[in-house]
Amino acid sequence: MFGRPFDLLTLMQFAWAFLAIIGFSLRSNLKGWRVLFTGLGGGICWAAYLIILYFSKSMLLSVFLAIIIVCIYSEVVARLMATPVSVFVMCVIIPLVPGRSLYYSMLFYINGSSGQASRYIFDTLMISGTIAMAIAIVASATSLFLRIRHRF
Amino acid sequence: MNKINLQECSQLALETGRIILQSGGATNRVELMMRKVCEGFGYDDCESFVTPTGIFFSLSDGEANITTRIKRIENRRIDLGKITQVSQLVNCLQDAKCPIMTHTQSRSKEFLKELQRIDGESPYPMWVTNLCGGATSGFFCLLFGGSWIEFLIAFFIGIIISASLKYISRLPVNNFLLNAIASALIVLLAKTIDTWVPYIRLDNIIIGGIMILVPGLALTNAIRDTMSGDLVSGTARGVEAIIITIAIVAGSGTMLKLWALLGY
Repeated sequence: MFGRPFDLLTLMQFAWAFLAIIGFSLRSNLKGWRVLFTGLGGGICWAAYLIILYFSKSMLLSVFLAIIIVCIYSEVVARLMATPVSVFVMCVIIPLVPGRSLYYSMLFYINGSSGQASRYIFDTLMISGTIAMAIAIVASATSLFLRIRHRF
Repeated sequence: MNKINLQECSQLALETGRIILQSGGATNRVELMMRKVCEGFGYDDCESFVTPTGIFFSLSDGEANITTRIKRIENRRIDLGKITQVSQLVNCLQDAKCPIMTHTQSRSKEFLKELQRIDGESPYPMWVTNLCGGATSGFFCLLFGGSWIEFLIAFFIGIIISASLKYISRLPVNNFLLNAIASALIVLLAKTIDTWVPYIRLDNIIIGGIMILVPGLALTNAIRDTMSGDLVSGTARGVEAIIITIAIVAGSGTMLKLWALLGY
């Protein structure tokens, strides 16, 4: 249908992230229509990561941009649905939280290849730091924006 | 506006703060909500200092009377539904026509009753949360490139982990041990199933299980707390996230090594 990043594979990945985040938010006792929107946010997060990764070939940049997109999404949707913003942000970033590199760093360390292990540990730290940066930037930018809009 | 007692107002504010903090809300959210409750009942002069494990709260009526309370917060568990409901209720205080509060009786009594209803509201039944844990684990396994058989196994492991997390958390174990035991259990189950079912890759299954335990919530709260200037609780939550991570790694690593020593 379209070129490589916008094909069925990305759509399927979107669907898996969507369903996984729906499960996650139900498990933390979120109720009503919000569950659907957190799921959508999780799907957008993972799909944006994949698409940006395809074009930029840089993992950290794609994590950064995907988290920024999804944080803006949750700032908007949370205000529409009268929900605290952090409830949304908590759920939608879960697909990018570095569980995978955490596992591989542990696995390689146990198998005795410390070189690869330290590479994955570094990955884990960098990804967590990037996620933190992106969340912080969107949160401060939003409060700045709201204050400016309040004044005028 | 009929003014209520100073003691009563601080009681209501503290109860609001306790519910939000116990359900895993951010610190400055708790402070904001407590301030809103006080303003809603006509006391503008309140100060609060909130950390993840306790609330210090002081309320003054603008004259000589000051009341101060301290509340210790124990057994926190994530409950996003309660945070949402309490926030909506508090925002209702400023709004004259609000569907939640009917204004048939005194406002403070109604507010307290509504808070107690939210606090006592039962979460989803256990089979739903277990099934959702299974779905989370299974779909994360697919997301990281698992096949359909691996999906089924990860689904099964997710259900078992969700159920056993509930049972283990009833025992007097701390958060570190809880996560370590759960991640060890994931590896144990995956390895056991691996001996019977041929041609599966364990990596995706174990990662899917670990994604249930990963401290994304603590991480988010730590960042948001630090950014809003609450350095104490930001640091505390950051350390919580690191400790949970270490627990996951330690638990699953120990079990993998033990299994390797057994020689399978």
